[in-house]
Amino acid sequence: MNDQATLVATLASTWFATGLAPAVSARLAALARPVSAPAGTVILREGEGTDLLGVVITGRVALRTLVPERGEATILTVEPGDIYGWSALVPPYRATSTAVAIEPLEAIVFPGTALRAALHEDPALAAALYPRVLLAVSRRLTATRLQLLDLYAAEQVRSW
Amino acid sequence: MVMTPPPPAPLPALAGPRFLSRDGIQPLLDLLRADGRRVIGPTVADGAIVMDEIVSADQLPRGWGDDQAPGRYRLVRREDDRLFGYNLGPSSPKAWTFPSLVPISRATRSEGKVTFDPVLPEPPKIAFLGIRACEIAALRIHDRVLQGGPFVDTDYAARRADTLIVAVGCTVSAPTCFCTSMGSGPELTAGHDLAIVETEDGLLVEAATPAGETLLAALAARVATPEERARATHEVAATRARIGDPVALPGLKERLLAQPDHPRWAEVAERCITCGSCTSVCPTCFCTSVTQTTDLAGADVVMNRTWDSCFSPSFAKVAGGSFRSRPRDRYRQWLTHKLATWEDQFGTPGCVGCGRCVTWCPVGIDLREEAAAIAPVRPPEPVIAPVAATPGAFAVGRVSAVRSETADTTTLAIDRLDPAFAAGRPGQFAMVDLPGFPPLPISISRFTADGLVLTIRGAGPATRVLCGLQPGDEVGLRGPLGTAWPLDRVAGRDLVIVTGGIGLAPLRPVLDAVVADRERFGSVRLYYGARTPADLLFRDELEGIWPHAGIEVALTVDRAGSDWSGPVGVVTHLFDRATWDGSATHAFVCGPERMMQATVAALAARGIGAARTWVTLERHMECGIGLCGHCQMGSLFICKDGPVFSIAQLGDTFGREGI
Ligand SMILES: Cc1cc2nc3c(=O)[nH]c(=O)nc-3n(C[C@H](O)[C@H](O)[C@H](O)COP(=O)(O)OP(=O)(O)OC[C@H]3O[C@@H](n4cnc5c(N)ncnc54)[C@H](O)[C@@H]3O)c2cc1C
Ligand code: SF4
Ligand code: SF4
Ligand code: FES
Repeated sequence: MNDQATLVATLASTWFATGLAPAVSARLAALARPVSAPAGTVILREGEGTDLLGVVITGRVALRTLVPERGEATILTVEPGDIYGWSALVPPYRATSTAVAIEPLEAIVFPGTALRAALHEDPALAAALYPRVLLAVSRRLTATRLQLLDLYAAEQVRSW
Repeated sequence: MVMTPPPPAPLPALAGPRFLSRDGIQPLLDLLRADGRRVIGPTVADGAIVMDEIVSADQLPRGWGDDQAPGRYRLVRREDDRLFGYNLGPSSPKAWTFPSLVPISRATRSEGKVTFDPVLPEPPKIAFLGIRACEIAALRIHDRVLQGGPFVDTDYAARRADTLIVAVGCTVSAPTCFCTSMGSGPELTAGHDLAIVETEDGLLVEAATPAGETLLAALAARVATPEERARATHEVAATRARIGDPVALPGLKERLLAQPDHPRWAEVAERCITCGSCTSVCPTCFCTSVTQTTDLAGADVVMNRTWDSCFSPSFAKVAGGSFRSRPRDRYRQWLTHKLATWEDQFGTPGCVGCGRCVTWCPVGIDLREEAAAIAPVRPPEPVIAPVAATPGAFAVGRVSAVRSETADTTTLAIDRLDPAFAAGRPGQFAMVDLPGFPPLPISISRFTADGLVLTIRGAGPATRVLCGLQPGDEVGLRGPLGTAWPLDRVAGRDLVIVTGGIGLAPLRPVLDAVVADRERFGSVRLYYGARTPADLLFRDELEGIWPHAGIEVALTVDRAGSDWSGPVGVVTHLFDRATWDGSATHAFVCGPERMMQATVAALAARGIGAARTWVTLERHMECGIGLCGHCQMGSLFICKDGPVFSIAQLGDTFGREGI
């Protein structure tokens, strides 16, 4: 994943960045940087500033949240092709959960400040990228709602 | 049908058929011609036996037979000199009653003015000689289609108004014939004037109409002997026996129309070259177009009605494209019209079983085979008589082993049970009772040699007591009850199983069946979700037995601690990004109804349609056998019509609030 062409191709193979127009994809790749991290690496910490948006290439990232008296619970895993650190695009740019690589991770990351500047000045890039970020976030919202129903719970709580 | 009075002297009562030697056919020909008719009969031309105008008996295919098979036709010499010892060739009476091209109108256009003059047909009087029972059936179908409704094809009606039919009952048959299945032959029953049956002796001729009687009287033939008659009856009966009943017609319409997405349509389309030979040799196909021939200036136009075919690329074309652009769509249109939708339109199938389309298909596609593959007759599912079938009777079983699966779920093995339980099928359930508690529906999570296994989550008082049973304790059981997962439908195909929580219990017997006969299925994928890692059932199977048996197992949980390194998220999260193609895959889904809805939607998005997706539903049950009314959902009782249903069967009652 060193040269620009491989970077573009790798990005294009992900759910998140597939089928982008060549110009958009080149612009994005110019901001991108491959990273890798061993299992156990904490990538983001809940409440702390997020300065990288990442796309998982291989590996698995657990999103964890602190539950009082129960410690950290994983509420979602980010699987290859999907993004983490989307709060790098949304004020106040703070992580909504803790992200931990639970398998050796290969990812492509975009520095938040540079990406925000690029999105600001390049409407084509913004028009291509924002719906994808929104789709990723809305999928999580839907999934979270289903999880909230606690479908497999022994007792169905009916508070209405 | 023809000829004029005076009526002939009535035949002597019970005289029955007359006997003609083979040479006696020429006088019959002469009589027909003397009546002003063109005689259309069989003759050898271009390496086949075709229908053409006959003036002399010498033109008949005396001593000729044929060798036919899918995609194959050869003339062969017979060892005898029968006149009608051949099977049907490519041409049929349709070429005379419904020619491939007839002018229907002459039109002009000049200086902005247009005129139309319908062409009024002046067809010749025709006698058909030698046509078979299936061809008469085809003519009767055309009568229904072309002149039996509110609008009449005038050209057809004129040609049919005065046709005389000298038919031949079949004493020969080709391997492509299936008139017996379609109810069209081989015996002559109606629609002819004279019936001939040819045996080794000669021709037995019988009149069926006054016109036929007139002809027969003029032939002055002797009455056939009882021996001659017996041989004729025997030869036709032998033909029926030889053909057998190759197409299962009863219910074929429904079975075929239930399979619009069968993968076989695409498979047959790989072979079909959409040449349309089948439709042009078919004696019932009637689709036509109007084509125009004009002079160079375009002022004088002849409008012709010409044969068209649902296989032609332009047949279903509108501005913007064709509704049936793919060969598979055209083949499905043809076969379902012939064997199914025709019946709704015209009261009979559109196929008489003549076998021409089978013989004359250049690539040998056999509609009998396609129909059988796409719409097989399912052996009636063996009705498994449940043990203790009345609400008050229970068979007693003994708990032989207890295993704690999770904090709230326990698996009980029950043995010393009536062996009839072992005949149950994956997906069925039992009503389980401990005296003092209400009887509960519990899925059978495994079948064993002398009993079964139940996996029970302590959801309330009765289930908690069941979870607390110890080896040696007894329980009452009624079952096996309800419908099963359709394993036969899935055999040879890919299967996706999506389940959550306790929902794995009714699916475990399916996985047992896959492990027992792995070759029987294509790829098998299990997507299983639980609340937390500690809530996953059947860990031994999930982590060992099933993956080792070549089942792809993917697990997810709703939330996890840091000791879990697998996926976390709802179960659809596991295949949101999967790469498999669902277009020929079947899916079995079990879990809470809300989870099943999300799953069914996600499966549909991957190409697994409603007819290939099955779910198992849970409703309050008291009797389990359709007597108490508790489990009703719309028009269904979940206990006896289900609990396993396809989404297509449930329609929009699935997931609807308050039903
Ligand atoms: C076809 C079918 C298969 C089932 N398979 C299993 C299984 O394999 N394992 C398992 O643990 N559970 C299964 N169940 C659910 C099981 O029947 C109920 O959990 C059980 O009846 C609860 O009874 P209870 O007295 O312990 O709890 P209760 O406190 O009486 O009820 C707990 C919950 O179960 C429901 N329920 C109560 N009685 C019935 C009843 N007669 N029929 C249906 N639901 C009822 C209640 O509405 C409530 O939501 C199945 C249900 C059906 C319809
Ligand atoms: S569909 Fe085939 S077998 Fe049936 S009537 Fe037509 S040509 Fe004969
Ligand atoms: S089924 Fe056979 S005869 Fe009919 S269109 Fe296809 S290839 Fe031609
Ligand atoms: S449980 Fe009694 S009718 Fe279904």
